[in-house]
Amino acid sequence: MTVFKSFWKVLLKYKGTIILYSMILIIFGAINMSTSDSSVNFEDSKPDVLIINDDKGNKVSDNLVKYIADNSNVINGLKGEDEINDALFYRNVNYVIYIPKDYGKDIMDGKNPEIDIKSTGDYQASLAEMMLKRYIQVQNIYKASVSNEDEFIKLINNNLSKDASIEITSKLDTNKLSNVSTYFSFASYSIMAVIIFIICLVLSSFKEKTVNKRTIISSMNYKKYNRNLLFASFGYSFILWVFFIVLGIIMLGDIMFTSRGLVYMLNSFVFTICCLTIALFISTLVTNKNAVNGIVNVVALGSSFLCGAFVPAEWLPNSVLTFAHILPTYWYINSNDLLKTIEVIDFSSLQPIFINMLVVLGFSILFIILNNIISKYKQKVS
Amino acid sequence: MKNVIEVKDLTKEYKKLKAVDDLSFEVKEGEILGLLGPNGSGKSTTINCILSLLNFQKGSIKIFGKEMKPDSYDLKRQIGVIFQEVAVFEELTVYDNVDYFCGLYINDKKLREKYVNEALELAGLLDYKKFYPKQLSGGLLRRLNIACGIAHKPKLIFLDEPTVAVDPQSRNNILEGIKKLRDNGATIVYTTHYMEEVEILCDRIIILDKGKILASGTASDLKELSEIDEKITVEISEIDESILNEINNLENVDDFTFEMNVLTVKYKKGKNNLGELINFLKKNNVTYNKIFSERPTLNDVFLSLTGKELRD
Amino acid sequence: MFWHNFKYSLKVLFKSKVLIFWTFAFPILMGIFFNLAFSDIENSEKLDVIDIAVVKSDEFDKNIIFKEAFKNLSDGDDKLFDIDYTNLDKAKQLLEDDKITGYLVFNDDINIVVSSSGINETILKYVVNEISSNAEMINTLAANDINNEIKKGNYNINYEEIYAGAYKLVSKDTAKLHNISNKNLSYTMIEYYTLIAMACLYGGILSMYIINYKLANMNSVGKRTAISPVHRGQMLVSSLLASYVVQLIGLAILFVFTISVLNVDYGDNLPMIILLALAGSLAGLSLGVIVATLIKANENAKTGILIAITMLGCFLSGMMGITMKYIVDTNVPLVNMINPASMITDGFYALYYYSTLDRFIFDIVSLLVFSILLIFISYFGLRRQKYDSI
Repeated sequence: MTVFKSFWKVLLKYKGTIILYSMILIIFGAINMSTSDSSVNFEDSKPDVLIINDDKGNKVSDNLVKYIADNSNVINGLKGEDEINDALFYRNVNYVIYIPKDYGKDIMDGKNPEIDIKSTGDYQASLAEMMLKRYIQVQNIYKASVSNEDEFIKLINNNLSKDASIEITSKLDTNKLSNVSTYFSFASYSIMAVIIFIICLVLSSFKEKTVNKRTIISSMNYKKYNRNLLFASFGYSFILWVFFIVLGIIMLGDIMFTSRGLVYMLNSFVFTICCLTIALFISTLVTNKNAVNGIVNVVALGSSFLCGAFVPAEWLPNSVLTFAHILPTYWYINSNDLLKTIEVIDFSSLQPIFINMLVVLGFSILFIILNNIISKYKQKVS
Repeated sequence: MKNVIEVKDLTKEYKKLKAVDDLSFEVKEGEILGLLGPNGSGKSTTINCILSLLNFQKGSIKIFGKEMKPDSYDLKRQIGVIFQEVAVFEELTVYDNVDYFCGLYINDKKLREKYVNEALELAGLLDYKKFYPKQLSGGLLRRLNIACGIAHKPKLIFLDEPTVAVDPQSRNNILEGIKKLRDNGATIVYTTHYMEEVEILCDRIIILDKGKILASGTASDLKELSEIDEKITVEISEIDESILNEINNLENVDDFTFEMNVLTVKYKKGKNNLGELINFLKKNNVTYNKIFSERPTLNDVFLSLTGKELRD
Repeated sequence: MFWHNFKYSLKVLFKSKVLIFWTFAFPILMGIFFNLAFSDIENSEKLDVIDIAVVKSDEFDKNIIFKEAFKNLSDGDDKLFDIDYTNLDKAKQLLEDDKITGYLVFNDDINIVVSSSGINETILKYVVNEISSNAEMINTLAANDINNEIKKGNYNINYEEIYAGAYKLVSKDTAKLHNISNKNLSYTMIEYYTLIAMACLYGGILSMYIINYKLANMNSVGKRTAISPVHRGQMLVSSLLASYVVQLIGLAILFVFTISVLNVDYGDNLPMIILLALAGSLAGLSLGVIVATLIKANENAKTGILIAITMLGCFLSGMMGITMKYIVDTNVPLVNMINPASMITDGFYALYYYSTLDRFIFDIVSLLVFSILLIFISYFGLRRQKYDSI
């Protein structure tokens, strides 16, 4: 019992760190949630477009604005070029269209005025540009044969109103699910950092030379003492896991109570166990508290960057992903990514996820073995 | 002899605790003054006040006749301090540590080199110049601590418990070093709760408790204050309760104890007490192994003055 | 004395492995991580070739306009689609295996089948719509032409030529667009800017460490320096100068590394870049000083606090997701106005992205105000030479 008690007492000294990492997860999760809406029907992905209309009141120009507005998310409320430039840089706006003064009049006069645009050059911007080009194209063609403004606009709109029927096979709420996956993938950073950091620091207090000597000579069985420390570490990891799951439920909602949600939880639990074994391994390897601080940051940030916790794995270069296979985080995040695309949750569809979990457990066993080898070696040396 | 330090009516209170209570004393040129007292008696606080590190509520402090202030640089230049805790840079070698602190006092590089080497020699660290503090044993670290404090050849040296947790060899080295410093003309204020050290080393002793001076004087002056004059210790394997009780009736006996087969008898005055005790034991057929007499220690003085032991 | 203390402060700082790790090695390691993680992200956001399938049928074969349009769209260097002409079962299988974005089935109408919503799916749908409306337009135009020919009395009509002409007219790109966006749009640069910000603020560990040694109420060496006959201000300035120098050396190495190995683009204005690095490091230094003087804890705890502050600051200025900076900037601008990591990041961003210096100067001034304010607050703690308790 005394071991447990002092474990928690030492642990509470580091509550600031735990709060910090949890806060980062919460901020990230909340922002992630707020930037997407969910649906199971087909929805056009709409680029974010900003239109600066210097030819307001002209029917021809207004119709162009209306067409773009109908097919994209129009961004409003940006004041001045600086805000527009910022929005563009941070991809809050993909495409900016500047409709020049007298644009409508020039069109009706048979001219083909130039339009200024700003573009981020990504695929959303490409889509916006496709729309704009198509509109101008249609406009130019009809202008050659029609001179009445109303008829002209009617013809354009009529032509552009074509809408092919689209059938969607997946019944998954992809937005919602990708939120869940993103949350859990990002959580890999928080889980890993908090578990390794705290456990290493707390255990290093217990393993400090003098304290350790004292325990070796105490009446307590050394094996039992170690076992108690292990249980305490496990208890801490478990509580932390529950805490992050509760955070997830608060932020993600009832989806966590579906069978899919349970698999997400199970996956993160397996990962938590693996982090625990890494923590134990590192705590055996180094007892210097300063070194722990550095190692944790390198290990946690490194895994997160290389395995797709911060940047979706699909966007990582292939060479990085290949390398990432040697890190447990990769397999954990891979499961999260698979979980958002699996149609029906059943044993056969979950098979690749179970294999991933087995790999993560395999890593855990590897770390336990390494831990034993190192600690035996260290005992001999000392 | 001139007074090097004059402390008058010094009072220092922490939130509720009166650490130093209306303290007044002087330190004379060339002497080793011992501040003796148990942990928490206000020794370190007094020194920190004298060094102008601590604010105090009341009193005045003069060093070399001048008032001591944080920017009294001309005074500080003549002072060296060895703090209770080891205060050195982990990242610097033994030599660099001493050189750094010495350099805060002495700008001349050549002179400094000489001084640093002399300090290292005094502390017996010449063989460890290139070592880092981490590589030194506890005793060597303490010696380094001392070398850092005295390398600039101060005229007034404060040593705050420099021998805490030090092995006997290093302790002797340290005490020898302090004597050498005095012989070179330094005035030394030495705080400790080891009475033996004070007895060996100090010209004059001030006994402190709860921030107040209990007594001061030379070691033998102080021993006069003791209620007892002689202490006789006898190892006895067996003795009757009734015989024991009779000891109190012997002449000059102040008090006695019998614990773990050791009989300790304390006498108010010392005069042939040993002979009478031996006779008494023989008369009662008590066999004894070892018997010896000693003069009272400073601990006994402290015990008489406060009713408690010096060591906790 | 000034240089004596300066020299030994340098020695102490360079000898401390922990300090050197955080200020020298860690930012470089992070830079490598960034490079591995972000080197591909902007390319993967560009429109790529979309894989689709078309189910072969008589209807499709008859639909000349579509056939021709798809042929054009899947041809050439700037092709939009890779098309697999196949049967329905195969197409279904390809979709299920995530090999294609969707497939098209031609009956009386055109059916698009996709597995989920997304940008590629939208583009596919959009292109199909476009071709349909083009087809309609070609028919209208051709019909008009034919009518005109008939009106002119010409009954010997070359239908093929008319259709070809209409097709050409419709598919000719007549839109005149002029791209006026700033050239430097590579937003992953922000990552490296946060990295510099991190390195600048980690410099605070150096100043914290060296100042700790001068504070009698924090450190026993501090006591020893406090009783020495050295002017306090001189001592502090000399120590801080040493930590600043170490900090700048670390930063210089980081700059060289990011520029030469990671190809980071800091813009062209070298004097301003140096000015920003100096101001940023000063902010880090002042952060270290305030932590050293105001927080009474051991060095490990103080290092931890500095690392935590730095990491949180960098997180809010976009280190773990670039959009974070924009979200904070636009929604809670106050947070990033007091966040030194954001001031530094924003300064580099301003240099890289903007042609004018207004924003950059605002960032520099913010950093200076931040530093002066912190040092001013710490000043009272630093100036103290007598304490109530030590």
